[in-house]
Amino acid sequence: MNGIEINGPKIIWELPIFGGIPITETVVNSWLIMAIIFFTALWLAHDLKKIPSKRQVIAEKLVTMLYDLVEQTMGKRGFSFVPYIGTLFAFSLLSSLSGMFGLRAPTADYNTTLCWALVTFFLVQYQGIKNKGVGGWLHGFIEPMPLLLPLNLVGEIANPISLSFRHYGNIAAGLVITSLLYGGLSALTSIIFGGLQIPILQLGLPAILSIYFDVFTAALQAFIFCMLTMVFISGNFE
Amino acid sequence: MSQGDTYMSFLSIDWTLVFMLCNTLILFLLMKKFFFKPVKKMIDSRQKEVENIYEEANKANSDAQNLKSEYEKHLAGAREEANEIVNLAQKRAQTRSDEIIKEAHDKSAAMIAKADEEIKLERTKVLNDVKSEISDMAVMIAQKVVEKDINFADHEKLIEQFIDGVGDTAWKE
Repeated sequence: MNGIEINGPKIIWELPIFGGIPITETVVNSWLIMAIIFFTALWLAHDLKKIPSKRQVIAEKLVTMLYDLVEQTMGKRGFSFVPYIGTLFAFSLLSSLSGMFGLRAPTADYNTTLCWALVTFFLVQYQGIKNKGVGGWLHGFIEPMPLLLPLNLVGEIANPISLSFRHYGNIAAGLVITSLLYGGLSALTSIIFGGLQIPILQLGLPAILSIYFDVFTAALQAFIFCMLTMVFISGNFE
Repeated sequence: MSQGDTYMSFLSIDWTLVFMLCNTLILFLLMKKFFFKPVKKMIDSRQKEVENIYEEANKANSDAQNLKSEYEKHLAGAREEANEIVNLAQKRAQTRSDEIIKEAHDKSAAMIAKADEEIKLERTKVLNDVKSEISDMAVMIAQKVVEKDINFADHEKLIEQFIDGVGDTAWKE
């Protein structure tokens, strides 16, 4: 009987500089996902014509939907963020979904979600400085009264932390639960069928649960992350 | 699980953060350049083209309407003109026929007058002839009766005088 082991991302290779920089499963898997996203997008958007082919219609529909979503949340001023939001959504969604195909989801690594949350954080602060000036931006932290400065600072710092942990937690929890479930079911199979190593009980139930833990959570978290990014950025538009 | 694999801890912040940052940036730039920009450009240009087509169609439509009303106006004008021309031609023909008839009348009247005159002349001439014949006859009769040779010229003169003095009135009655 196998023990259930839940690990962090495996180290694939180590760059022999700075005392060894680990290249983990997260990074390698994300390269694969990037390649899939990029080549799909390239295939959808190559050879664009005035009278569109089916695949061009799909590409245009995706882009139009994204523009509509961004316009609803951020207004027309948010249009310059559409490519980033779209990339983020696709990257997040496919990263989480890759867990279904036996890869370790890059979004189940805190570094990934923290990275995106930091990008969001810096975009938000950049918008603040750009639209209010450095003085106005700094002044925003002592509004409505200077007493609230610590609270405002905490609130600002809390955004990327909550954003990154929400996404990471959901996907990592899905990973843990799925692992536990497989382990448990495999143990149960061994007990019932007397040491048989054929995965019988693992056949149906994990698939059903995976609809929630992988598909639904993946889509929801990607959506939430993008929505919150848009909301935070557009909060600094005025 | 195979032995020898090394794992990062389940929750840690490490170099992966930097890698993922680069990955995200690279994917973002690629997607922007090869997907979002060209597709959006195509959508916008099509949108513009459709708007242009609609605008042109509307313009062509209004142009056609204008032309139509203009032609209708022209047509009505032409009909009026045609009526006028016909009326004018009728009037002219009427005058012309009147003229012709009048001319014919005039001509026939003139001819009748001329004929009358000729008849009158002929009559005078005949009368004169008869007169001279009678006078000759009278001279001859007188010669026969008188059997006397009288100068013919004198006699004639005499008879002329007689006729002029007496007979003329008698002949005229």
